[in-house]
Amino acid sequence: MSKGTNKGAIDSQPEALNRLLHSEADKLSGVDRRRFIKNAAVFSSAVVAGSAMASSNLPPNTPEWTKKLGLPVNTHPYGQPSPYVAEKIVRRRVPWLTPDAIASISFTPLADIKGIITPNGLVFERDHAGVPTINPDEHRLMIHGLVERPIIFTMEDLMRFPSESRIHFLECPANGGMEIKGPQMGRLQFTHGMNSCCEWTGVPLRYLLEEVGVKPEGKWILAEGADGAAMSRSIPIEKALDDSLVVYAQNGEPLRPENGFPIRLFNPGWEGNTMIKWLRRLEVGDKPYYQREETSKYTDLLYPRREDYKDRYGKAYIFSMEMEAKSVVTFPCPEKPLKGKGKYILEGLAWSGKGRIKAVDVSFDGGVTWQTAQLKGLVLPKAWTRFALPFNWNGEKLLVQSRAIDETGYVQPTYKQMRDARGTHFIYHNNAIHTWMVKESGEVDSVQIFEKG
Amino acid sequence: MLAGTALALAGLLSACQAEIDAQPQAQKPVTDKAAEKAVESTGSPYRSLKVDIAGISVGKPATPEEIAGWDIDVRPDGHGWPDGSGTPAQGEGLYDEKCASCHGTFGEGEGAWPKLAGGIGTIKTGSPEKTVGSYWPYASTLLDYVHRAMPFPSPHSLSWDEAWAISAYVLYLNEIITDEDFVLSKETFASVHMPNEDGFIPDMRPDTPQERCMKDCVDPSKIEIKVALLGYCSGAEDCIDNGASGKEKPDPAQLVGKKVYESACKLCHEGGLGGAPKLGDVDEWRKRAEKGMDTLIKHAIEGFQGEAGVMPPKGGQTQLSDEDVAAAVRYMVEQSQ
Repeated sequence: MSKGTNKGAIDSQPEALNRLLHSEADKLSGVDRRRFIKNAAVFSSAVVAGSAMASSNLPPNTPEWTKKLGLPVNTHPYGQPSPYVAEKIVRRRVPWLTPDAIASISFTPLADIKGIITPNGLVFERDHAGVPTINPDEHRLMIHGLVERPIIFTMEDLMRFPSESRIHFLECPANGGMEIKGPQMGRLQFTHGMNSCCEWTGVPLRYLLEEVGVKPEGKWILAEGADGAAMSRSIPIEKALDDSLVVYAQNGEPLRPENGFPIRLFNPGWEGNTMIKWLRRLEVGDKPYYQREETSKYTDLLYPRREDYKDRYGKAYIFSMEMEAKSVVTFPCPEKPLKGKGKYILEGLAWSGKGRIKAVDVSFDGGVTWQTAQLKGLVLPKAWTRFALPFNWNGEKLLVQSRAIDETGYVQPTYKQMRDARGTHFIYHNNAIHTWMVKESGEVDSVQIFEKG
Repeated sequence: MLAGTALALAGLLSACQAEIDAQPQAQKPVTDKAAEKAVESTGSPYRSLKVDIAGISVGKPATPEEIAGWDIDVRPDGHGWPDGSGTPAQGEGLYDEKCASCHGTFGEGEGAWPKLAGGIGTIKTGSPEKTVGSYWPYASTLLDYVHRAMPFPSPHSLSWDEAWAISAYVLYLNEIITDEDFVLSKETFASVHMPNEDGFIPDMRPDTPQERCMKDCVDPSKIEIKVALLGYCSGAEDCIDNGASGKEKPDPAQLVGKKVYESACKLCHEGGLGGAPKLGDVDEWRKRAEKGMDTLIKHAIEGFQGEAGVMPPKGGQTQLSDEDVAAAVRYMVEQSQ
């Protein structure tokens, strides 16, 4: 934002802001409108900052917005965030990560998410050929292969089946992939933001498989999307019959286009890549299909440093689909520094693809000593779980870490343990303990801890 | 593609050593045994409908013709191998026309787009170069994917003959097929074997055994802190740099400039997109540097209409601070002398 852009607006008064944002912006469209709102938001924060000293909106004065009528109901039929946060709490991309913006990824702003539900507009997206615009009336799900009765379902057909709603995390296995060789991304949004958690509603896949009648030799299912990439993965029949869903809603509304509208596969606790968006076809087969996204990509090439893993050297895990337990501190973090000495409540998120989070430990000294945090709110299987820990800060340097333990007893590993097991040439399934360094200023850097010697 | 690109593009810039300071005071260890116990003792938190779904479906039977139109997968074992055929010689022209602009004339990959050829034998060495030839276990995946998703800008536009021919040419670039007139088809496909076919093993996780240690877990004197992005080296012996530079302690300001260049400027200034002066083009940068560094930085921040093209304000990356942009300009000038 260049300084010149805002100067014209600086003379305006705060009460003009609402009018501007709500009436002028509505006359604009597309890029112009976004730019306008963005400028206005920057301007508004300048006004807010200035008003701390001499605002007529602070006690004992009556605020401007209290002395007049507000906007009519349904001004925005779908609703939208306050202009004071619009364009601040948003998904972001890292342009240099991918060669273009179509086969690319956006990141969820984890530092600003509250509770365990990610709003639909902030759920990260990974697309392999862009987001298709699909007419649901002309979209079909075909199930065929080793089945008694190949069937084509309309979207209405699917909604006749009993539905289930489940709160589950959805994480790209490349989340944190940039950190495997060493610390690289400087913000929580980019170190951990290929992750989200929603309430997903749809049909258990086992009902659909019951309907078509899977033959005894049917062991794997190819799931395929209707996007340009016809994204495809092989899913073992055991998972499909266990807890896989064909979902059509997230957080109560139809799926967003970038999350698979009108339907996607959902495999709770597994890597996001298996949860084929824009699902059009399920083929039951006797073997996996060895698609590009499960051979060339989404496999884990290993160069273990451990002697007992030497036979894995130069080999790659294939069909490594479960997401192991992981956690991260969301406050403090680079986006949310400490502001002055005093008492704070550390917060974070933990999740496991194997089930519930049982406990989360926190260290302030880089992993030398640990204490157990409190779990907050709902503790659900294969879902984000909040943890918190009050602490006093006297301005010293901190090395803040969190370590998740799930109900199977699995303990989140250190980077050293992970690199000893897999080397540094793998890309997916980084679930190592992350470190934030709180500096004396209260600012927070993303760091990694290596052991000397 | 995603994270591999990230690792390739972004040099890890710094490391530093720091001492561990005093612990935050007055922290009371909190135990949550009751909560842990509650977690252990519960079943599913969800209640499912108990319902017999017999008779509930209104789906219609899929006809063989409908299935044939969508059933495009090709498996290693012969399942789904399509009619048609192609030779490397037939594939070369198609490849040059439809593939080379991203993947390179010889499969070497343009910019950050995937490399298709070469690297055979590197997977077992610890310095892997992943390509179709070096890493992919099955040729069927190549045929499937070329037909399924390529060319990137116009997916689902290739006939099976074209997909066979392009696949044959990519195998030829990898010297997996050596005869340019080899007819790749379902009759010959089983004879093609990829070098890394035995390179995959089942998921062995959990593979990171970890105790829930609570105190004295690490020797504090051995802790070494490496900072992401804009930090800098302060004497640590093994600064991680992802091989981007030598062992010399880099100048922090230059690190910032390089990082910003990599993330914001490279897209245009590496290849000269839209008339942008290329990094390392001494003549083009000298012409601009003659205006003075301050002017150059001002143009980069505010935007500039030049003779060769337009420099958008901050290259369109308006989230960058003025200082970051200035550092990137200085870096590009220094690299172009």
